[in-house]
Amino acid sequence: MKDIYILGIESSCDETSFSIVKNGTDEIATVISSQIDIHKKYGGVVPEIASRAHIKNITFVLEECLEKANMKMEDIDAIAVTYGPGLIGSLLVGVECAKTLAYLYNKPLVPVHHISGHIYANNLIKRLEFPLIALVISGGHTELIYMQKDYDFQKLGGTLDDAVGECYDKVGRVINVEYPGGPVIDRLATVGSHTYDLPIPLNDDSYNFSFSGLKSAVINLAHNEAQRGHELNKEDLAKSFQDVVVETLTKKTMKAIKEYQVKNFILAGGVAANKGIRSKFQELCEENKINYTFPSIKYSTDNAAMIASSGYYAYILGRRADLTLNPVSSVELK
Amino acid sequence: MKILYIDTSTDYLYTGIVSDNILLAEIKQKFSHDLSKYALYEISEMLKKVNINPTEVDKIIVVNGPGSFTGIRVGMTIAKIYAYTLKKKIISISSLDAMQIGISSNNLIVPVIDARRGFVYAGIYQDNKELLKKQYIKFEDLLDKLNNYQKEYIIVSNDNLKIDNVVSYNPDILKIVNTYKDNEDINPHLVEPNYLKLTEAEENLQRN
Repeated sequence: MKDIYILGIESSCDETSFSIVKNGTDEIATVISSQIDIHKKYGGVVPEIASRAHIKNITFVLEECLEKANMKMEDIDAIAVTYGPGLIGSLLVGVECAKTLAYLYNKPLVPVHHISGHIYANNLIKRLEFPLIALVISGGHTELIYMQKDYDFQKLGGTLDDAVGECYDKVGRVINVEYPGGPVIDRLATVGSHTYDLPIPLNDDSYNFSFSGLKSAVINLAHNEAQRGHELNKEDLAKSFQDVVVETLTKKTMKAIKEYQVKNFILAGGVAANKGIRSKFQELCEENKINYTFPSIKYSTDNAAMIASSGYYAYILGRRADLTLNPVSSVELK
Repeated sequence: MKILYIDTSTDYLYTGIVSDNILLAEIKQKFSHDLSKYALYEISEMLKKVNINPTEVDKIIVVNGPGSFTGIRVGMTIAKIYAYTLKKKIISISSLDAMQIGISSNNLIVPVIDARRGFVYAGIYQDNKELLKKQYIKFEDLLDKLNNYQKEYIIVSNDNLKIDNVVSYNPDILKIVNTYKDNEDINPHLVEPNYLKLTEAEENLQRN
């Protein structure tokens, strides 16, 4: 069979990325331009600044990707683009770029859901095995998904309020660490002890999550300690907080793995880079003889390789968009 | 020489294709919320109608703002990618410059785009020259400045400015293209929007 080369485009938040992936599994070249340093001084991603940076970067990143792959647009079989969910102004630049390329080179245009991209990031590590349970955790998402085959997404649950990564960043602000707070908390937690009492959020039988209550509990705790004149122990708070997050994520995920009787579990999304979360799942999956895949750091944060990988299976299934494709900030995974 | 004109800087799509000084086709249409959805599609249909393959276009003139931040990026992304990938010449022009083309008058010509909260993007022109530099300005302050010139003026705008005697903007695309087509072309990588305004986050940071 002829090899299929997909050009992936991702611009849903603060990374401008292009990638070329062969047959859904072989990464040929990926370029990611991260804006993290631009947004640092604002303590989070500023949507309009992100959009402005995307349009500034877009042709440079495309050029670098094609050069790295030593390929021309003519060699590409289809263009896959994240159309949502994400920041609408940011998504727009990637979608407009993808539509223009599809038009100019007369190539099929394949719309890709950002979450499916995160799931298929694991496909670049090892071909997905089904049925599987996927836990997608990032700054914008917390979703538990059951898949029986490629592109068959059944959402079991998700966050009812804040995403887990968002909660990490907000807690980071409370303990006054540099943005993004997630990686710092993960590091501090390795040296701290679980001394602070925090509630396990939405401790029920559903597959849903809630992190805003936990965030409020941390804010209240910091406030109370300050009133009492106690200094907050950052390491201990990080450990106490991370333990609660790990507990809620693993409990619901392992329940889903058992209920749906799957042997495969994949962790996905930017927060999958968290070592505390990663290692607890490792331990639990070993105990329960579950095949466990998590993306390497470069595939866990937003990147276009995962969009190209996911886009390959969408392409094979015949999913197409025309030149009126419009980005959407919020959309269910289908 | 085939020149494609693209302006999506407001909620109107203004696009045209000019070949050897003839306007072959044009679109002037208002899109309230879905300009990003239809802009490229409309451009592709326009070129198809006059049997022009996208590779046949030699030059792109794109409006780079000021106006709607999102709108600007729609046309700019199309134009940048088009020029970069197919190695076409590209020129970017200001929406306000374009708006004052086509009005022949000895009076001051004042293109105005609503920027909300009492502010506008505007410039003051006479005989194609900028008397007042294009800027983001309080509408009241603009009117004060205009009165100081003690000259007759014509305000050109498609927005509801709540004043009388506003001439609506209906671009003469052929004339705009002819005015700017010989400007020096730019490396597509370096073609950038000209928002004329920082983001709120940047403004707040500067203030503190």
